[in-house]
Parts: sequence; structure tokens; C-alpha cells
Amino acid sequence: MRLIKYAMLLCAMLFALVGCSSDSAGGDSAAKKEKKGGELRVAVPSEPPTLDTHLNTTTISSNIARNIFETLLAFNSNGEIQPMLVESYKEDGNTIEFKLRQGVKFHNGEEMKAKDVVASMNRWINVSSSGKETFKGATFKEIDEYTVLLEMAEPTSTATLVLAYSGGEAPTIMPASVLEGKDPKQKIGEYIGTGPFQFKEWKQNQQIHLTKFNDYSSREEPGSGLAGKREALVDDLYILFVPDSSTRVAGILSGEYDAAMELPIDSVDQLRGNKDIELKSVPRELLLLYFNKKEGLFTNKVAREAVDTAINKEDVLKAAFVNPDFYKTNHHVMLANQESQWYSDTGKDKYHFHDTELAKKLFAEAGYKGEEIRLMTSRDYDHMYNASIVVQEQLKKAGINVKLEVYDWPTFSERRNDPSAFDITIITNKGKVEPTSLVWTRSDYVGWTESEELNGITTKIRQAPSLDDARGYYDELQAWFLDFRPAIKMGDGDMLFAGRKTLSQLEDVDGLIFWNVSNSK
Amino acid sequence: MWAYILKRLFSLLPVLFVVSIVIFSIIHMTPGDPTSYMLGEEATKEQIATARTQLGLDLPVYEQYWNWVTKAVVGNLGDSYHMNMSVNEAIMGHIGPTLSLAILAEIVALCIAIPLGIIAAIKRGTATDQTVMGFSLLGMAIPSFLLALFLVLLIGVKLQWLPVAGYRPLEEGLWNHVKYLIMPAISLGSIQAALIARMTRSSMLEVLNTNYIKMARAKGVVEKKVIYSHALRNAFLPILTVIGITFGGLVTGAVVTETIFNIPGIGSLIMNSVSKRDYTVIQGIVLFVTFVYVMLNLIIDILYGVIDPRVRLEEK
Repeated sequence: MRLIKYAMLLCAMLFALVGCSSDSAGGDSAAKKEKKGGELRVAVPSEPPTLDTHLNTTTISSNIARNIFETLLAFNSNGEIQPMLVESYKEDGNTIEFKLRQGVKFHNGEEMKAKDVVASMNRWINVSSSGKETFKGATFKEIDEYTVLLEMAEPTSTATLVLAYSGGEAPTIMPASVLEGKDPKQKIGEYIGTGPFQFKEWKQNQQIHLTKFNDYSSREEPGSGLAGKREALVDDLYILFVPDSSTRVAGILSGEYDAAMELPIDSVDQLRGNKDIELKSVPRELLLLYFNKKEGLFTNKVAREAVDTAINKEDVLKAAFVNPDFYKTNHHVMLANQESQWYSDTGKDKYHFHDTELAKKLFAEAGYKGEEIRLMTSRDYDHMYNASIVVQEQLKKAGINVKLEVYDWPTFSERRNDPSAFDITIITNKGKVEPTSLVWTRSDYVGWTESEELNGITTKIRQAPSLDDARGYYDELQAWFLDFRPAIKMGDGDMLFAGRKTLSQLEDVDGLIFWNVSNSK
Repeated sequence: MWAYILKRLFSLLPVLFVVSIVIFSIIHMTPGDPTSYMLGEEATKEQIATARTQLGLDLPVYEQYWNWVTKAVVGNLGDSYHMNMSVNEAIMGHIGPTLSLAILAEIVALCIAIPLGIIAAIKRGTATDQTVMGFSLLGMAIPSFLLALFLVLLIGVKLQWLPVAGYRPLEEGLWNHVKYLIMPAISLGSIQAALIARMTRSSMLEVLNTNYIKMARAKGVVEKKVIYSHALRNAFLPILTVIGITFGGLVTGAVVTETIFNIPGIGSLIMNSVSKRDYTVIQGIVLFVTFVYVMLNLIIDILYGVIDPRVRLEEK
């Protein structure tokens, strides 16, 4: 597919040479009218394995599913937690009481009541990795028809954050009747929620078709981010699976798609040159270099420090995300656009520091004797591959014998879970709502981070009496990260998306939002 | 004739058996795990282990093969790991777009190739012949994806005459169905055309030099009739073989073209299944493709007899 991309680029250049510049007519953004009805066709890069968000960590699954299913809480545009399916909620030590909204209908006509919330949330706590991580030993209980109580083993400051997050493994509410009598670990077959769109059809390898839910009971507050009023302004929402990125670009350019996700950075000029299209980007990914801390040289902390010293992080970011508009040199472990919630100064002064000579000394101190170091990567994601090339060069300069091992993505995904398969690997992780959900804190994730000190800090953050108190421990976590170096954070990268100007708006909060969007096409 | 067809059908069995063992071994030796796609990148070890047990991937390989092959023998190719359907349903659900595309591409190929091949043969050695053959050489040399991308940029993005990608089933109207397939059919068909044109030319040349053509001309038969009913029919056997082979390639999925134009056919099913390591679907498709090839070859063999009475089986 890489070859195709280059050929596409070549073709684009040829066309530019013969003077066929983009000059399609129309596209007056002032003429955006709120028109109800019609359809919205969105090209996405992959097909979700299922829309059962409890059983699946992929972003694409939650992204599509959240049009059908809703959560108890949701984030607004400023990242603040707002009630969604609940009228109000009250946190009190290790319990949270939720008063449910009345008259909220599921797509099958049933009203959403406490029993549905209890069945859904207890399943989510037991089967999803984020449920198990944050809510160990917790259960939801029915108090009355419209009141549920979450009882946790200990006070959890991050509880509401995790409950409001719908970027992956979203804690969605389904009817109890769908879940009853089924093995909770088996995927559900019926997609019935309370959302503004309802499930119509899934054509495998082709598309998911959602339609407007006419009995949707919306909140009254004005829509902001994922919170407030939601209204399906189009009758039909088609999510089209288009794995080839150049096809997504050609499709949005020609108007075949109204919106497209995850566009390649090398198509930016082509997309910006077309006045019918609005190109946007959103910080989404954390670029991290992971060390194998179970086997090999990097079990030694000094060796990890040596790599950190040898690398110019901004060069790596530049290789990965090409255009400075689409990356941020960010020293702390959360995303730069989350700084109003999570920020630490620790390590800011050292972000740009790199010294090849010092790195050589540190490698010698760590007992490195010229053995081969395996840097594992995959060509399926350009940014990871390009970042790996630069890291390889920089480590070679520091006298390290680095061998690049390149695999296809499925092979890579399997090998990275094998401690004998690699020494270093570069991966992008999705941003998380709170730092203890970041995957490098897990001992079973790539790199295998085991540290009592880390467990102490994450416990402190989770068990803090309030979120504000929890934020107070973020400095401590950042300092531990920079000292222990479970991984090296290079910076933040953006996800590019585009919409035709016939759309009234297109916003991304942990994924694109399709309600409150009209299409005047 | 019937005995011959039966014999050929029986000879299919060992072929399918060998193919099943080979494909099963290759897939299970390939690194990569179906569960990593199923659960997402951040799945825990425990989630992965549960999913592997659910899929039966924790059993010994020979046991997995036995479980699969005993069902496959009676035509049940198993269930897809990732799609909510059986492999049989998946193949049937994806064969429609591929068949439509293959037929359209073959029509494009024949409309270009046969007339050009005949013209080149008649005007042998002239500038026309050289131009035609030059183009056909170029056609064979251009990779289909490059032609596809040129078409997308020119006809889809610049001129916006045809949709750049996607597929609409026949139920949504003939034009709606066909307009999504024109560009992919041209990009596939013109490459096939190059091969068929060359074959037509050489085969026609051979026939045009035979005595019976000279005889026909001496008899005063109209030149058109000489070319079409005397020469072309006799020259058609090798052309038919090429058509059969190229059509086989088209029916079993044009992976790259289907990916570029996002057509949900067998080609993109193969592509998706390989990248998701959907073992049962890959195995099923390979068996299916083997079957289709053998059957196509059989049909071509029978067609020989229809076109050329000299190779009719009953008379032997």
C-alpha cells in the first residue's frame, strides 16, 4: 500500500505540473444552512471488530457505538464532566449516587431504568480492562427505579473521569433484556441504545448504516463537546470502511464522502488547496519509545538513561509527523491540550537536552559491549516507522549497534508482547483522561513496567479525596517517569480529519461527533 | 463426455486436500494473532487468553486442522473470527461485486483487444500494427494500480464524472451499480486487453498463412467473411485459453484494484482477512479460489469442443 501512496503522490505532482490545480467551484462557507434530513457519509480507516464497547479497546468501535449507545456522564468541549443519562450525581467517599433521567427511551421502545444501568455497568466493570483497572471490587446497585448507587472498595478520585470517557471501552448503557442470560464475555448481537442514531445495518467490509432515532430524548442544555443537546440532523449516517488512505483523500476531494478520518500528512497541501474542504487536526497520540524491561540491556536503568541522552526528541517528532503544525514538543506524560487539567513543569528544561558523548559514557557504564540491539517497528504506520529510522541513526552515532526489525502490523502486535522478541520499540498511544489509565503504567503492556513506587503513586492519585487533590500528585508521577524511564515520551502527534463545507460543523472529542451536524448537500 | 467431466471433478479432491493442508500450515506458521485485532491494542493478557479459548486457538494445531477439515468436507467452511457470519456467507456476500467487476472488466478487455488484435494481424508490418502492438506492450508494462490512480485523479477528482470509490448493489439500479465499476473495470480490463490483443494477433497471423485461407480467398469469398468466420474462429482456441486464465484471475479477486476503489469483493475480503489474521476466512477463500480455477479450466476445455469440432470429446 506504501507503493500506492507514492504513486498517488507522483500522480498528484504530475497533475500539478500540467497545470490542473484544484479550482472546484462553490463551497461558500457563509452559505452553510442548517438543513434537516439527508445523509452523512463518513470514511473511516478500519472496520470495528464489534460495537459492543465493553469488550473492545479500539477507538473506532467506541467512536461509532457512541452514536447508538450513551454513557452516564460525558465531557463538554472544555473537558469538564457533565451529566448525560443522569439528572444529577453525588460523590460521597467511596460511593457515587446517580439519579437517572426519566422518560429516556431505548431504540426498542423500553424506558431506561435503574435495572438497565446496573446490568450494563456491572458487566462493563467485570469485562472491560478500564473497568477492572479503576473499579476493582466495585458494584452498581439499584436503589429505586431511577436511582443507582456505585459502591467502590475505596474512594476513587478518577471514577467520574473514567465513566465519562467514550474514546475506547466506553461504559455504555444497554437494556438489561439484551444482556440477561448471556455470558458477559460474549459479544452482544443486538445494538440497542438510547442514542440519537439507531442501528440499521452492518455490511461486512463495507459500511455501517445508522438512522435517526425519532423518539430520542435529548438534554436541554446547549450542545458542547459530547455533553448537552444532541440531535440527529441527518436521517442516514453511513460509516464507510476505507482502509486505503489515498482512497479516503480522493473520496473527500471528489465529494463521495462528506467527512474522512485519519488522513495522511502528505496529503495536507492537496486538501488545503481545495476550497470545498475544511481540514482540521486534533492532538490525539503520544509518541513513546518503549524499553523491554524484562530481558536484555534495558533492564538496566542506566542504559535507558543513555538512550534518553542520545536522542534528539524533536528530530524524532519531525520525522514522524513531518509538519510542525501537526506535532507538539511536550515533555509531560499527558497530551498538551489537557494542560488545563493535568500539567507538570518537571522535566521541561531537560526536554531538548541530548549529548552523544555523555550517552556513550552512560552506555559504557551500563555494561554495553557492542551487542546487537533490536529496534522493532512496522511499516504499516508511517509515523512509527519514520521515527524508528531516526532513533536508529541517533543511537548509531552514540556507538550502539542497532538493528531495525520491520514487520507487518499483525506480526508486530504479536511480537511486542514477547519479551524475547525486541529491545526497543516505538509506539503511539492514545491520550487518556487521567494519567493512571496510561498504558505504560500496566505491568502486562509492552515493556512490562514493574515498580512498587509507581503503584504507590497511582494509588495516591486514584484514592485522592477529590480530582483536585489527585492532580496534586501528577508532579510526583512525572518525576518518577523521568527517573525510572519505563518509556521515553517524544511528544504529541495530531490526527487529521476533514469535512466538506456543506457540513454545519465537524468536531472531534475523542473521535468525530456526528450529531448536531447537518449536511446541506 | 460426462465420464470425462466426472473424472475431472474427482481429480479435484486430492488437489483440494493438498491445498487445505498447505494453506492451513502456512497460516498457522505466520506470526500474528487474530485476537489482537479483535480486542484492540490495549487489551490485557487475560482478555487475550479468554478470546483465544473462545476461538479454539489454544488447541493443538492438528486438532484445529481436524476440526476445520471435517466440517469443510461437507461444505461448511467454519465461522469467521471477526465477522458475525460463516465463511460460506462471507464468500457469497463478497462474490457479487467481484463477479460484476470481472464481467465488466472482461467486456472492456475484449472490446479493446479482439478488434485491435485483428487489425494488427491484417495490417502486419505496417505502422498501424506497430502502434497497436506498442500500446499493448505499454498496457502490459503499466501496473494496474498506477492506471487506477490516474483514473481516480483525472475522472474522479478533477472531472468528477464518476465516483472515486465504493460500490452500490444492482438492486439500487443498473446505472448506480455500473458507474462505480467503470473505472476499476477500465483499469483491470485494459491490462488484460494488452495480453489478449497480442495473443489474438499472433494466433490470427498463424491462421491467415494457412492454405485454407488462401483457398477461401482464391474462391472469391468476401474478405470480411474470410477474417471473421474462417480465420477468427480457427484462431480462437489459444485466445479462449488466455481469456479463461485472465477471467479466473478477475473472479478470484483483484486485490489491489478492489482496495483502491474500495469495492467489497473477494479481493478486499482477502486483504482484510490477512490483515486481521481471520484464519478461517483465508483458508475458505483459498479453497474457494482453487475450486473456481479448476472449474474454469474444465469449462474452457469443454468450450474448445464447441468452437473446434476437431477436439470434440465424443468423437474420440
